[in-house]
Amino acid sequence: MIVTKHVTKYFGNFPAVKDVSFEIHPGEIVGFLGKNGAGKTTLMRILTAYLPASSGTVLIDGEDMAGHSLSIRKKIGYLPETPPLYTNMTVKDYLKFAAEIKDVPVKQRRNRLDKVIEECQLADVQGKTIGTLSKGYKQRVGIAQAIIHEPKILILDEPTIGLDPIQILQVRSLIKNLRNERTVLLSTHILSEIEQIAQRVLIIRSGQIIVDGSLEELLKAPGTARSGGSTLEEVFVSCHQKQTEGYGE
Amino acid sequence: MSKILSIAKKELASYFKSPVAYIILILTIVVFNVFFFMIIEQEREASLKDVFQVMEFMFIFLVPILTMRIFAEEKSTGTIELLMTSPLTNTEIVLGKYLGALAFFSTIIGFTFVYYGIVEYFGHPDRMTIFAGYAGIWLEGAFFLAVGMMTSSWTRNQIVAAITSYVILFLIYFSISFMKYFSGPAEAAIRQLSTWTHLENFSSGLITAGDVVYYLSGILVCVALTRLSIENRLWR
Repeated sequence: MIVTKHVTKYFGNFPAVKDVSFEIHPGEIVGFLGKNGAGKTTLMRILTAYLPASSGTVLIDGEDMAGHSLSIRKKIGYLPETPPLYTNMTVKDYLKFAAEIKDVPVKQRRNRLDKVIEECQLADVQGKTIGTLSKGYKQRVGIAQAIIHEPKILILDEPTIGLDPIQILQVRSLIKNLRNERTVLLSTHILSEIEQIAQRVLIIRSGQIIVDGSLEELLKAPGTARSGGSTLEEVFVSCHQKQTEGYGE
Repeated sequence: MSKILSIAKKELASYFKSPVAYIILILTIVVFNVFFFMIIEQEREASLKDVFQVMEFMFIFLVPILTMRIFAEEKSTGTIELLMTSPLTNTEIVLGKYLGALAFFSTIIGFTFVYYGIVEYFGHPDRMTIFAGYAGIWLEGAFFLAVGMMTSSWTRNQIVAAITSYVILFLIYFSISFMKYFSGPAEAAIRQLSTWTHLENFSSGLITAGDVVYYLSGILVCVALTRLSIENRLWR
């Protein structure tokens, strides 16, 4: 579904993403881990056609990003780190606008709108101005915007950041409910979240993928060269330590 | 096309959702009204020629306030990510936003049609001259908007966007004042560069191909440069 081959992204002289190659299959939920500034957001922006890669190939659903960016964008739902909300619009107007620019056919707009409002539990606030909503509602409007065109692929950048525990549970269950229909790539640095939702884990460090494996493998294989422990936290810490020693950072 | 209209509609709506739009609208109309009264009272002439000249001058100050947010705000709040990851071409984004701003600007112009009603009621103005004047001032505003949108696409800071477009508009408008220091081809070039020269023709009822081409090509260049800056993410 998502294939990247040797993707590299430079900002000036700084390589934010270095030679990243991985493949995500249809229906997978992939957790994308890394410290702050590791390159998660940059890589996600490349996958969503927001930033062009400096070099390398990105294939989404068999199409090359370089030539088919527009048709790829129809297949991707993207929630950036800060939900891209027009704070002076009402929830309903905003979602209507999102449906219009994301090529939802005119006849289906009403249905889709009702559906995402229900799925994201926004019925109570649909007439309210987005700027007046709490963080949790804003985040859910952001998710609603990402799924309104029923994309095959969902890319979520820290979907639960800044939410209270109840809201985190709600958002998580929303993502879980989506898993039957879609391929999901989500980044977070809340490790327990990944353990609960994801089937596969990618760990990125200084722009490079250092771990790529299924969650089960990582957790059930104590003592292998890479993973030293049995919780994801230990795996995460140990590979960062190894890298630090190895490269003498 | 329908997506261009969706964006334009959203842009226009967002003007009216902030108090700034109403303040600008009311302030502009009030100032225009005062000048209209002063000019008519002084000249006692059923023509809007000088009114158009004053409007042109006012638009230099007004338009950057209207346009500074067009792209800068989207970039600073991150909503640009929604636009640029949706199946929209850069041309659709730029045209949609431009049309939205143009619609708001046209509303302001629309309010001044009252002046025509007044001079028509009390005198016998030359209708074609007034029509030409309106065409000219509308084209001029459209050109200023394109300049403002372009500078807004260069930065994520609205103040920087506004000041940059003030600089450009001042240079274009006042370049005629520097004409006396030049001679020969340079003088002619500067005369042609200034919007003042071109609007003067329109407001005296003269629609010439040269003036229309001046404004249209100005708009086209700015819109194309905006698209280029959006495409290359020049604000980073």
